[in-house]
Amino acid sequence: MRRFYLLLTAFFVIVQLVWIGVPIMMAVLWSLVDPQYPWSFPHLFPQRLAPAPWIYVFKYTNIIKALKTSYSIAPFAVALSFLISLPTAYVLGRKNIPGKKLFNLVVLLPIIMPGMVVALFLSRVFTAFRLSQTFIGLVLAHTLMGLPYMLRVLTTSFQTIPQDVIDAAENLGAGTFVKIKDIFLPMVRPGLLAGMIFAFTTSIEEFNLTFIIGTPTFETIPTILFSFMGYNFIRTNAAVVALVMMTPNIVMLFIVERFLKSDYLSASLGKM
Amino acid sequence: MKKLLPFVLACLVASVFVFAEGAKETAAPQIDLKTATWDQIVQAAKAEGQVTFYAWYFPDYFKEASMDFEKQYGIKVNLVIGDQTANFNKAIAEKGNAVGTIDCMIVGGQWVKTTMDLDLFWGPVNKIMPDADKLAPTLWVVQEGVMTKGYLTPFHRNQTGILYDPDRVTNPPQTWEELTAWIDANPKKFGFNDPSKGGSGQSFVHTLIAYTTGGLKQYEGDSDLVQTKVANWDLAWKWVNDRKDNLTFTASNNDSITRLNDGELAMTVAWDDNVKDMMTKGNLFKRAKMYIPKMGLAGGGDTMGVLKNAPDKAAALLFINHITSKEQQVKKFQMLNAYPARVDIPIEGTLLTEEDRKTNAIPWFPAPYKSHMIAEFVKNVLMK
Repeated sequence: MRRFYLLLTAFFVIVQLVWIGVPIMMAVLWSLVDPQYPWSFPHLFPQRLAPAPWIYVFKYTNIIKALKTSYSIAPFAVALSFLISLPTAYVLGRKNIPGKKLFNLVVLLPIIMPGMVVALFLSRVFTAFRLSQTFIGLVLAHTLMGLPYMLRVLTTSFQTIPQDVIDAAENLGAGTFVKIKDIFLPMVRPGLLAGMIFAFTTSIEEFNLTFIIGTPTFETIPTILFSFMGYNFIRTNAAVVALVMMTPNIVMLFIVERFLKSDYLSASLGKM
Repeated sequence: MKKLLPFVLACLVASVFVFAEGAKETAAPQIDLKTATWDQIVQAAKAEGQVTFYAWYFPDYFKEASMDFEKQYGIKVNLVIGDQTANFNKAIAEKGNAVGTIDCMIVGGQWVKTTMDLDLFWGPVNKIMPDADKLAPTLWVVQEGVMTKGYLTPFHRNQTGILYDPDRVTNPPQTWEELTAWIDANPKKFGFNDPSKGGSGQSFVHTLIAYTTGGLKQYEGDSDLVQTKVANWDLAWKWVNDRKDNLTFTASNNDSITRLNDGELAMTVAWDDNVKDMMTKGNLFKRAKMYIPKMGLAGGGDTMGVLKNAPDKAAALLFINHITSKEQQVKKFQMLNAYPARVDIPIEGTLLTEEDRKTNAIPWFPAPYKSHMIAEFVKNVLMK
């Protein structure tokens, strides 16, 4: 039986590796195709590798500037999402208010509606408030797109906090500040980190609003990626931009993963 | 705390207005561009000091051309290589603004009709551009079946043709009957893109309609769709539906080429400039061959337009003139092998022969039929 479980585990590990590893390997190989030796049928692998696609993308696009812009906007968008979501999620997760279900649905609208439709309508609002072509405008736009994820995850985190723990703290004389610091925040921390990841990656990958209200003043990585991925799909160049976009996100995921491993209940009781 | 919160909120709101830049408005030219001399336009362009240009392909060429422009005129170019749909959506979203953020952009595909109907461009410019008479005369008048009335400047010509792998197709078809027989004998090896996703698919369906419903002559000169003329188009949809299992529908112009490169397809319909670009970048095998069959396939070209609310109209005109100059058209051809819009440049070494272009290239039918064709294909073929 133990052997069966071992084999089953190995099988799923291999499936996961293939599932995630093969697309990444394909992107790496495509990003290194030598233009003089196209990777074509019936060749299973590229005939020759060369950094030409990387040189092309770095030479002919504003990718460095776009990287700086993308990674400057994302932390602000995450922070703002957190500040807005925390009190809202507390109310939605712990209090019974009329219209709660409707509010939960409305919050999801920016991600339910097609991105370009949201962008086209919101661009009028951003222009009216003179927020188009501004850094603040882009932070607000990215916050709007990341907010539904942050809010939903935090709301669920607040819902899972056992009432017993809060009652016990109150019996021991804990005030509002102590409850927030020692109970709510530690116990929603895994949810907060998950929300941060969603909000961060949403910001890094946001295209429609950024393109409509940000360009030409600001270019982010997706605005460059879409020129290779959309109508004018060039696989070699798209692979380069995808890898450039993916690498910092993977590093961040590994960092956050370390924090997510801590059990929230033990964290709340100071037994980490 | 209660006093602090409104203060923080007030600071945040104030900061929005302090840091807000809004659309950059440069000094508007004090001259009437339609009556000014070209020298006056150049001076006005220099006074504006910058131009913002949106494209969705050829980033390498446009980057180099922009650098040449900056060097020659000292005018900064804000080049944005975006996505075709996103570019037009942005221009349309900004239409209501007195001053937009785009000065000039590439215009092509089904967006020609949409943007002309929306009256998005400033002009006409054909009387302003100094080299207008040296640019493809038909493209000045009609693009993608749409009358463009001299508002859009031709800068690039392209043509659809049949692209194939000579290792797998030894005797490529020339007539409609030969093509039909080849498709039936080689299931799934011929593909074309969904016509709502790119011009090469549109070109194939255009030829399909011509051969199954009595030719293209009947549509000539129509500015509106005549229902009786499209009543028998079900014959075209029947042709496709009868061999749906033998055809491959692709997602875009470039997707067709990608699938040929991957070996899924042996033959497809493609734009010559797309093919050359993908070949140059190692995305298509160099043995690929292309031709315009005797049954005919449509061609055209892309243009550049100045937006009505462009903040730097003079600089936009100067930039378009720069792109259509002899030097730049030659440079574009040398870099990309893309066919120039200028008719005064001798061209050699293209994928499609001049002979093919002269004898087998056909013009599009009027735009209302093209729009109807796309909608009906989706309804009668893709949704069935």
